[in-house]
Amino acid sequence: MKPWETASLPEIEGLPGPGTLRWTPVRRHFDIRAFGVNAYTAAEVGQDVVEEHTEQQNGHEELYVVIAGHARFTLDGEEIDAPVGTLVFLRDPTVRRAAVAVEAPTTVLALGGKPGEPYEVSVWEFDFAAAARGKTGDYKGAIAEIDSGFELHPEHPTLFYQRACWRALDGQPEGALDDLVLAVELGGEKFRTWANEDEDLDSIRADPRFPA
Amino acid sequence: MTERYVVKRLDEIAGYADPSRAQWFPIRADFGIGAFGVNAWRSGEAGQELIGEHDELGDDSTGHEELYVVLSGHATFTVDGETVDAPSGKLVFVGDPAMKRSAVAEEAGTTVLVAGGKRGEAFSASPWEKHAQGLQFFATKEYDRALEFFERAHREAPDQAGVLYNLACAESLVGRPDDALAHLAQAIELRPSFREAAQTDTDFDAIRADPRFPAAAG
Repeated sequence: MKPWETASLPEIEGLPGPGTLRWTPVRRHFDIRAFGVNAYTAAEVGQDVVEEHTEQQNGHEELYVVIAGHARFTLDGEEIDAPVGTLVFLRDPTVRRAAVAVEAPTTVLALGGKPGEPYEVSVWEFDFAAAARGKTGDYKGAIAEIDSGFELHPEHPTLFYQRACWRALDGQPEGALDDLVLAVELGGEKFRTWANEDEDLDSIRADPRFPA
Repeated sequence: MTERYVVKRLDEIAGYADPSRAQWFPIRADFGIGAFGVNAWRSGEAGQELIGEHDELGDDSTGHEELYVVLSGHATFTVDGETVDAPSGKLVFVGDPAMKRSAVAEEAGTTVLVAGGKRGEAFSASPWEKHAQGLQFFATKEYDRALEFFERAHREAPDQAGVLYNLACAESLVGRPDDALAHLAQAIELRPSFREAAQTDTDFDAIRADPRFPAAAG
């Protein structure tokens, strides 16, 4: 670990997130381990700067800071106008949250962590990073991103599930089936349901081991 | 019931505002954030100190990793003796708690956000943050309230050098020279750098001529 380091936001490689989200992985860039921190930049009006989600799985508090432009948040259905300088703090992980840019460019910084517990790097970071590689056809790169997640979360069913998908797409049916079976074993029926609807797994669906 | 979410503009967060110093926006304390530390500072004029030189070791800190984000304006950071030009959008991450860090505003209205926490441990607020809430009473010249605040803080944390120093300031300002000199001596014993700070701190003007006042280091 370097004792200190600097960067400007454009110097950190931005990655495509789900939908129209553009993710600047600040925490990952600096390898910050005390709290989560990321930035999201919309180059066009209407693009997401926060994808719709809750924090029920991680139990994180989140603070969003509009650091450039102008956003509109939707919190549990309530619309919030958020020009530059607005702080949105979500204490309750169950609040459904999303934001879009109403000016371009708009940048939102997001900080997160769980009160009373040491910070752990969230699994979604590996999932997002893998998806960014996989979307370009770099399935091996996607698998490598998921593998780095196993170093911190060795038995996380979501990581097994995602690796199953990337392995299936990469033409590694045996590895994909092993991962999928483990995902269902560790994570339960939710993963079986996902698997039955997920086109990424079509190449292994006919196998008798596939969790139908 | 605690609010599930809170939305504010930075300017709506009331903080410690002393015209001679950068304005502090205590974001974490205002929102009651429990998972990480987060504050902001804004300069009133160019050349103003935004982030006082400090490390994250010692009795006033908790070994935090810190991320500074220049939200607007233009700052110059100094980290471990190295100067860093920091226009708006610059991120300065200091992972090693032993690194000395500070920042000066190059423009009026320069705003810096800082987030912090300790790797591998649940977040707990830095002691300085609690003390800093008492500093507002110096800015408003409510010295009796400052005294009351730091007396209580001292009872809760008798060995906190920063508390002792501020308690000494308040005692000097309300005309209790003996108490001020005793507490200043204790503060310097715990943190020798306070000896130098005391030489130019006008809060001690009332006791500076006393032979017991700690002389500048030779």
